[in-house]
Amino acid sequence: MSLTARHLEENGIATVVLGCARDIVEHCGVPRFVFSDFPLGNPCGRPFDTAMQHDIFELALRVLESAPAPRTTVQTPFVWSDDPSWKDDYDAVPLPAQQTAAPL
Amino acid sequence: MPASEYGTDSPNVDRTHKTFVDYIERTRAYYLARGYGNPYAYAYYRRHVPFTPLRKPLAESRVGIVTTAAPYQPDKGDQGPQAPYRMDVKFREAYAAPLEPAPDLRISHLAYDRKHTVPADLNAYFPLAQARQAVQEGRIGSLSPRFYGVPTTYSQRATISRDAPFILNECRRDGVEIAVLPAV
Repeated sequence: MSLTARHLEENGIATVVLGCARDIVEHCGVPRFVFSDFPLGNPCGRPFDTAMQHDIFELALRVLESAPAPRTTVQTPFVWSDDPSWKDDYDAVPLPAQQTAAPL
Repeated sequence: MPASEYGTDSPNVDRTHKTFVDYIERTRAYYLARGYGNPYAYAYYRRHVPFTPLRKPLAESRVGIVTTAAPYQPDKGDQGPQAPYRMDVKFREAYAAPLEPAPDLRISHLAYDRKHTVPADLNAYFPLAQARQAVQEGRIGSLSPRFYGVPTTYSQRATISRDAPFILNECRRDGVEIAVLPAV
């Protein structure tokens, strides 16, 4: 997706990427990026939260209007859950057995 | 967005997690732990990132949506919000398709977080309602009559040399001046 954004931008179409994988998008380098700290699959907001989805889209439009330079990232103000443990799970490598054994 | 609208952080907010997940590091460790010695090399541009400033107000511009989601294929089994990872329903060719009637787009072929989210709402990964509202309110000039689908492929060369030029060409045909790209 980032590569496509770059190609469009290179050819005169202004772009904004919305997404949840900040490191992957910034590693590639895109002109404008609206980042939500959410589980993968929700680049435009929490399912069925129309107010949040509206605010994120509006933020993307403002980033289009006002980004001063490429690699502009703006993080949305939303929190997926007060419990951050969801961040531990995706593609997690299990701990070695000796580290998960019960304490003596 | 005034800060008060979204509340303030409590003093005991978790500080042990970063504000983003290290997916590159996570997948590298995941595959190395399984004996694959050749982790995926994510696209990386250190110096050049293109930039096209807006040439006119959004209210006079045509917006197109570019997605990695796939049109539902009724003959191919479960692609719904509870479906497992469906590598077999991945699409290989970039496409453009009408926005009316509203497309039935699914993401069962993509690696989203199946433990912590259920993609039962199109607008969470394809901003159709949001974009239509923006047109109604005059915030953007118009929405392209078509949207654009780009496949997720292992080959970055295929994206750069084949898929992205196709998307550009179709966007130009529709007079798209601004592209919104939700990355699942």
